[in-house]
Amino acid sequence: MAYEENGALQSLLAARGVTRRDFLKWCGSTAALLGMAESFAPQIAAAVEGAVLQPQAPALWINGGACTGCTESMAQVDTPDVATIVLDLLSVNYFETIMMAQGEDAEAAKADLVAKGGYVCIYEGTVMTGFEGNALRVAGKPQVEELPEVFENAAAIVAVGSCAVDGGWVAANPNPAGGIGVLEFCKEHNIETPVVNLPTCPVNPEWVVAMVIDVLYLGALEDLSVLDLDEFNRPKGIFGQTIHDNCSRRGHFENGEFVTEFGSVEEAKGYCLYAVGCKGPQTFTNCPIVRWNGRASWCVESGAPCIGCGSANPLEAGGNWVDVNAPFLNRHRDIHVGDWVTQPTVVGAAVGAAAVAALAVHGVGMKAAGRMDGGAPYEEMKERDAKKGGGK
Amino acid sequence: MAHPAHYREAHPMVFVLTHWINLISMVSLAFSGFYIHYPFFSGFMGVARGMHFFFMYVLVVNLTFRIIAAFFVKSAVVNGSRQQDTDIKNWLPQEANRGQMIPWLKYYLFLKKDHPLGAKYGVLQKIAYIATVPLTYVMMWTGFSLYGPYMNHPWFESSLALVGGPMNMRIIHYFMMWVFIIFTAIHAYLANVEGFAPSRLIFAWKESEGLEFDPKTGKVVGGKGH
Amino acid sequence: MARTIVDPLTRIEGHMRVEVEVEDGIVSDAWVSGTLYRGMESVLKDRRPQDAFYVSQRICGVCPISHGHASTMAAEAAMGVQIPEGARLVRNIIEAAQFLHSHILWFYTLGALDYVDPVKALSANIADTYALAEAAGTRVADFGAVAKRLTAFVESGNLSIFTNGWFGHPEYAQDMPAELHLIAVAHYLEALEVQGDAAAIIGIMGGKFPHFMTSVNGGTTFVPTEQKLDDVLYRFTKVVDFVNTALIPDTLAIAPYYLPALGFGGGTGKFLSWGVFDKPSFKADERYLPNGVITSGLAVDNASTDNVVEWVDHSWYEDDNGGLNPAEGRTKALWTDYSTDDKYSWGKSVRYQTTAGSGTGEATEVGPLARMVVAYVKGVEPVVDLIDSTLAALGAPGQPEVLVSLLGRVAARNLEAAYIGGLSIDWLVELIGYIKGGDVEYFKAHDVVDGKGVGAWEAPRGSVAHFMDIQGGRIAGYQVVAPTTWDIAPRDADGVRGPMEEALIGTPVMDAEKPLNVVRVARSFDP
Repeated sequence: MAYEENGALQSLLAARGVTRRDFLKWCGSTAALLGMAESFAPQIAAAVEGAVLQPQAPALWINGGACTGCTESMAQVDTPDVATIVLDLLSVNYFETIMMAQGEDAEAAKADLVAKGGYVCIYEGTVMTGFEGNALRVAGKPQVEELPEVFENAAAIVAVGSCAVDGGWVAANPNPAGGIGVLEFCKEHNIETPVVNLPTCPVNPEWVVAMVIDVLYLGALEDLSVLDLDEFNRPKGIFGQTIHDNCSRRGHFENGEFVTEFGSVEEAKGYCLYAVGCKGPQTFTNCPIVRWNGRASWCVESGAPCIGCGSANPLEAGGNWVDVNAPFLNRHRDIHVGDWVTQPTVVGAAVGAAAVAALAVHGVGMKAAGRMDGGAPYEEMKERDAKKGGGK
Repeated sequence: MAHPAHYREAHPMVFVLTHWINLISMVSLAFSGFYIHYPFFSGFMGVARGMHFFFMYVLVVNLTFRIIAAFFVKSAVVNGSRQQDTDIKNWLPQEANRGQMIPWLKYYLFLKKDHPLGAKYGVLQKIAYIATVPLTYVMMWTGFSLYGPYMNHPWFESSLALVGGPMNMRIIHYFMMWVFIIFTAIHAYLANVEGFAPSRLIFAWKESEGLEFDPKTGKVVGGKGH
Repeated sequence: MARTIVDPLTRIEGHMRVEVEVEDGIVSDAWVSGTLYRGMESVLKDRRPQDAFYVSQRICGVCPISHGHASTMAAEAAMGVQIPEGARLVRNIIEAAQFLHSHILWFYTLGALDYVDPVKALSANIADTYALAEAAGTRVADFGAVAKRLTAFVESGNLSIFTNGWFGHPEYAQDMPAELHLIAVAHYLEALEVQGDAAAIIGIMGGKFPHFMTSVNGGTTFVPTEQKLDDVLYRFTKVVDFVNTALIPDTLAIAPYYLPALGFGGGTGKFLSWGVFDKPSFKADERYLPNGVITSGLAVDNASTDNVVEWVDHSWYEDDNGGLNPAEGRTKALWTDYSTDDKYSWGKSVRYQTTAGSGTGEATEVGPLARMVVAYVKGVEPVVDLIDSTLAALGAPGQPEVLVSLLGRVAARNLEAAYIGGLSIDWLVELIGYIKGGDVEYFKAHDVVDGKGVGAWEAPRGSVAHFMDIQGGRIAGYQVVAPTTWDIAPRDADGVRGPMEEALIGTPVMDAEKPLNVVRVARSFDP
């Protein structure tokens, strides 16, 4: 096969102590990650090997109103590791948290690439529109002033982390700094650059790697359908199933074996965390499969109920994961009626109880009116017929 | 003091059965639904979910059957009469219901002494019974939207997006259950507050003597208690 | 007078601007601006006390563990909950993993490029590099492969994250051998892997990193098993080994070429530590790195959050937000304009009052240097030993005051990593012992009750305090004083500079366009 003749990649990998076997294994797991059959592994291998001889694809990593957690998360990937990504696969000419340059020189690196265009723009953090954009100032001016051009000239935008997708916690009620997601910002500015949304807080780095492969090697830029995005611009292969669907504790759920208190015997046994508010059933990510920190573990495995940090709704204000899922340890979210905050359970029970009470009061009335036994006498004719004077 | 006669012609056997099925399904759905909302004892989730799906299908199939049957089965035109017509005509608003909404409200609020005349069902009763039909289907829809094997279907996926995600859908599903519970409470109360004859008929198919009504005018024409 | 501006300051967490006035090649005045406002305090208002842990840690993606712990401690203090012994150890271990992760990441990924020039490494002789590594007692890597990779990378012409770096800057130590540059580059790459191992410890015990899941109010949801702790122990061993065989020897090998950095970058010389890593007593002044504040000379007092005051005269907040203790704090943003004469930062100016409620307060530095100095003055034995031996190695035995400098700040961070590395293994062994003994609790069930509480703790980059006021089962008030708030504080009500601003004064600048020493000093705080 062609890819076996590719000596350049072999020597490159050998220099890193990566065997061909490891490489194909990585291709296989990447295939699985992309929601494809493992039989696609050779195709991915061929794509990567073909691409590796080309100059690294240009990319920018822009930090918006971010905590740098997504960058930190990116540093945790080992398939391949972040050094390989930023040194060999991509040419990330601007990446505030790890780049060598600073100040004007850093800005110049960004400006040069923006002028050239055709790069992948990875955006981390919330787009900060508050205080005329001054909630986030970069290089002496509001960041939102430079974003239209940066987004417009990109070949594609990857919004990493829930903040970039829909504002994340920053946009949670009352959204004091005017945070919005990348997609909404693009819509407001009529920017048609394709946006790929990768929610969760922080982003799972395995997904970013999957997008790098998609965008650079599987021709996603030429043909967006490769990404197979859902209506929130999320890749279906990653965000198509709920955490609950793939949870390692699912068996305990079906058995009705629940943790009702942390640190309990049930917790030690690894029972299901549904009763302590796990948001797995309504959170669409494949965390239980790809796991976190180099597959070391993931939230539910460590005994913590999912808080739904991957819930995202880039199309609707208030769809951020905090507003949708808090209180995290309850089964339902809070609902807001004006300033009044309450739980659906309280509303349901209160309205139900009020209805029953009203009926009881009504029953007393019926008794007093003597209608209990057979009701009142029937009217001779309908009231309106009587009014019309119809006595027939 | 008198109530209408309750004859079997009002609720033919097939509707007695569908009513029983409705009752059992709804109670099972509410119970299993509460359990799925919060498992208040252990070891039952698999069964509860099984119950919830099973009785949902039963309820929906039963409702659909009930609607189709309404076009073929005849039921009494008014209470207290053995004269029948196609059931759907009696279910939907009729000439005899016209103008009776306000009197019914006044009657229930003790502002009117006399029992308003009606057709087989009173105005408010009809509104409630008709509303349960779309409500049941919407309930089914919200349930499917939350159900793993179905939630990825484009129909349900777009419904989820419409309401802002599964959490909101759950809350809608949850609140709608309370609507059914409250409907059932009011239904059971009003059906029985003036005597248990309606229950004897719908559950045990037992007739009760009472006022006779003229199927044409809807007015009392005789019978026991006249 | 010429102003030099570095905006954005890269290789830090978040967004920052540094503006300095240079006179005769020396920084004569400085303004440091935090350029991002998100409003965590407002977001948490009216939510449940148990939700604050999850949301508030997301202030910082590099130190979420410490924010999370400060938040649960605030809630626990407000509700009168005492966490059990098992939870203490689990939290200490997770916290330690974050410290090690953060310190390794800072030194190699964020800080090293200010001292190491990758281009110089290209001319290294491979055989000499091995010889030098051995002589310096530092870790050996496949230096040949690293050199090859570096060459291939440079030849590709795409410099990626190195684009527009200040290669060949005259302030890089000109006499530092190419081989040492190569060793550092090799360890730069290896550190990426090792910091991942440290983070994976949090992955196992906390669900994921960054942003962990388990240290909920009342203890932890993580119930350790021997198997999981074996995984953790294996990783700790690897990380601690790297600290001892790379981080420390590299520091000692590079430092001699930067001895002038002992002469500037010191700052206010006033230090604060809330203390971190609880002992079974749960007393802040008995912690492994104890609570303490130094406002003059080397006299240490117990530090109290009652003495904290925040000013907003130069920050973009309503004026009535100033002069308050965070427990009464308000956060009402007020954008005006960027002006170094008026308001110029989203960070409040936080100060420590020697007497609670009186005076403008002192600009105190927080962070590893502050913690190590406090522990040193308090006589914490392993810290005293570490510092004394390092001072001797740097040719300044018995002169702890030289630590108050750029180089001292960098060294203190790495020495702290060595101290914590040792402790972490001890705690892990202790926890494994508990599991074998059975009967250890990890969570204290509790009801939500109203009250006010403060969680004062330390993040790798400095002191963190969360202030929570619970009323009617909801958060009525929430304030965070983050580590960086202390260090990058703008001028206070009296116009006195913040710790980083003060530390910048006197910094030599060779090239006003490329003020390498300025960014070194700013980054040394790990802002």
